[in-house]
Amino acid sequence: MAAKAAMAVAGTAMLAAATVAGTAGAASATAASGATLVVASSVFPPTLDPTANAAAAIDEVFEYNVYQNLVELDPKGQVVPVLATKYTVAPNGLRYSFEVRRGVHFSNGDLMTPADVVYSLKRAANPKDNYPYGVLLQDLSSVAASGDKVVVTLAHPDNQFLYDLAAYSNGVVLDPKTVSTLATKPVGTGPYEFASEVTNYSITLKRNPYYWGKAPGVSEVEFRYFSNANSEIEALKTGQVQVIDNLSNPQDAKQFQGGGFKLISGPTNGKIQVTINNSYGPLANVKVRQALQYATDKQAILDAAGGGYGRVIASDDVPGDPWYMPNVNRTYAYNPAKAKKLLAEAGYPHGFSLVLTLPPYNYALTAGPLVQADLEAVGVKVAIKDIQWPLWLTQVFSKHDYQLTIVDHVEARDISEYGDCTYYWVFAGCKTVAAMLAQAQAAKTLAGEVAGYQAVVKLINKEAVNDWLYNPDQLTAAKSDVVGLPGSGLTESFDLSHVSVGGRLASSLAAEGYSP
Amino acid sequence: MTSYLARRAGIVLVSLFGASVAVFAVLAVLPGSPAQVILGTQATPQAVRQLSAQIGTNKPLWDQYLHWVHGLLIGQLGQSYISHQPIGPQIAQALTVTGPLILLALAVGTLVALPLGLGGALHNGKLTGALLGGLSQVGIAVPSFVGGIVLIIIFGVKLRLLPSSGFPGWSEPGQALRSLVLPAATLGLVEGAILSRYVRASVLDQLRSDYLRTARSKGLSRARALWRHGLRNAMVPLVTVLGLELAALIVGAIVVENVFSLPGVGQLLLNAVGNRDLLVVQDIVMLLAAVVLVINLVVDLSYRLLDPRVRD
Repeated sequence: MAAKAAMAVAGTAMLAAATVAGTAGAASATAASGATLVVASSVFPPTLDPTANAAAAIDEVFEYNVYQNLVELDPKGQVVPVLATKYTVAPNGLRYSFEVRRGVHFSNGDLMTPADVVYSLKRAANPKDNYPYGVLLQDLSSVAASGDKVVVTLAHPDNQFLYDLAAYSNGVVLDPKTVSTLATKPVGTGPYEFASEVTNYSITLKRNPYYWGKAPGVSEVEFRYFSNANSEIEALKTGQVQVIDNLSNPQDAKQFQGGGFKLISGPTNGKIQVTINNSYGPLANVKVRQALQYATDKQAILDAAGGGYGRVIASDDVPGDPWYMPNVNRTYAYNPAKAKKLLAEAGYPHGFSLVLTLPPYNYALTAGPLVQADLEAVGVKVAIKDIQWPLWLTQVFSKHDYQLTIVDHVEARDISEYGDCTYYWVFAGCKTVAAMLAQAQAAKTLAGEVAGYQAVVKLINKEAVNDWLYNPDQLTAAKSDVVGLPGSGLTESFDLSHVSVGGRLASSLAAEGYSP
Repeated sequence: MTSYLARRAGIVLVSLFGASVAVFAVLAVLPGSPAQVILGTQATPQAVRQLSAQIGTNKPLWDQYLHWVHGLLIGQLGQSYISHQPIGPQIAQALTVTGPLILLALAVGTLVALPLGLGGALHNGKLTGALLGGLSQVGIAVPSFVGGIVLIIIFGVKLRLLPSSGFPGWSEPGQALRSLVLPAATLGLVEGAILSRYVRASVLDQLRSDYLRTARSKGLSRARALWRHGLRNAMVPLVTVLGLELAALIVGAIVVENVFSLPGVGQLLLNAVGNRDLLVVQDIVMLLAAVVLVINLVVDLSYRLLDPRVRD
């Protein structure tokens, strides 16, 4: 403990020095306290470089906390300007002009320039750099700096461009001098800078002395990794940690409602679904797929696998989407009799047999046997096959060698996958959807865009491309005096920009979805 | 003696070569592409092919094997293509947890096994002997992860005497030792229970031997005769078992590190397998193979110290 206190003092001293130098706001030093926040998490990032690996565990720690984007998402999922002070979109939807914030420094003291922004976006868009989310920038036709502006031109209009730039690590602004050391010494413009790591155990961030905005209310954040859910919970109860970012087992949530703790729950972008291989035998028949929808008791599965935290869905349709339609999610209400009737109409009055492939995740392992029982009740025999995640990626995702699988599609607004004919559910209507998506992306008005996407949501629901189960909530448990935690799981980042211990949250931040 | 040593060293080298081929072959047939794991569900097939080419996992197997072994021979463990960090320091860091954990567990195991086994042998046929035997049976029967959870509940959660998980690093030696107590006890109690069976059997053997009867007839008590003449003889089979059990402890550490969230070699190995960080897996398994071979060598050599009859 003594060592930690000393580090906290050093952190405050550095901040004071920075304030004298005029690089941090004067008000921030008074608001800042010397506390260390320890956050329990479960998956240690496979690398510290968010631009080299798609793992969500990397973005959780480094996005928004260490690295920042021109625009970011607030916890309500809205795009807000960050390293850009403002932006304009040309009426034809092809030209985005960002006003780059002045006086922003990287945590190593280098000044961030519009040229750095151009460099970072070009690096992300270059296929040779293997950016995991680089594909989101494939429509980029040019990026150029002029004065304090950065102008991005797209080859086709894309209403999702700003969102994609904000949501994922393809939008981070890097110091070109540090790109060769991102895996060992991350450097960004965010409220925290990287301090140290112990592989498979902890990652420590401390306040960035050069931060341009209001300093966070804690001097240090330590993400500590637990290899099993029980020790995570004991650690919070015994005070070794103050926060659990996302409870691995939703059944553990209730004990943290009150009694010195608090439970923060809010939607994620996740779609936990039985993915259907639309090209496999009986599953190619839309009536069979609809029968699967009617046969699954989604609410019971949500209660068992998600502890009841979340909402039942019946399409790629979750509250974070601007085109969210709760009424679509009420279709296919549990009705085994109707399922049997549809199967008979499709020519399978006596059912058939399927293999359900499960990746090693709690939700899948819990939901799997329930789906199995539901389908067997309408005459479809289901054999369960458990496989490891790398094998899932190769066999199910790449080679489409499966019939049914259960997986959480965590990416936000990924409805465009339904227009991708090579995607692993092999949907026959992909070309129709692709054309509808292109239209929605190019819509001149927000209403036109939303209507375009809603048409896709309805189409894939009618086609029952997959058997969508539920949209899970993120369940953050914390000591009751920790304020400013993100109120949802709509961002990849566990955004700690505004966190403090025992402080009070500005009402403007509460309105953006940070938890008071 | 020198020719014996040379022969033994030769066997170790051949075994290491065999281990390297086996490890590489097993991982080569392990399904799941590292590039696919890195790029995740946004990956296009083209991007996966391109990344495989960059990290070299699409090269011919013999090429990858020679490259790896060459690195090992010149002392280069290489750089992980997942974490983009050098592997040597990662393993060294993990060993600062696993090394002390195993030594502590061995100490606990020995401290449990000797009294339990000796007591069992000396009280053979009496109620105390049967009780001690039963105790060791229970120790063997309980899996280490269950034992670990029970210890966590008692000492970590209810009594709050010891930390129930995590490891603060050796910059705080007292805290570091405290966090290793429960994991070492978990690992050591099971090993102690197993070892005590061998101690008991070995000591019983000696108690029934002719030379000990002679010693008793000179007027020594059973315990004194055993202490003076029997223990050294009883040690010979025990050292073999101890060597084997040390290897078992290394394997057991993988489970116990997971239960207690310790950042040791076991966790490193487990996560590396999950991430398809194949180079890290290969390096760790080779290291473990080398350690086990060296332990066996030391065991063989120690026979010669304990038992003069083996020397020639």
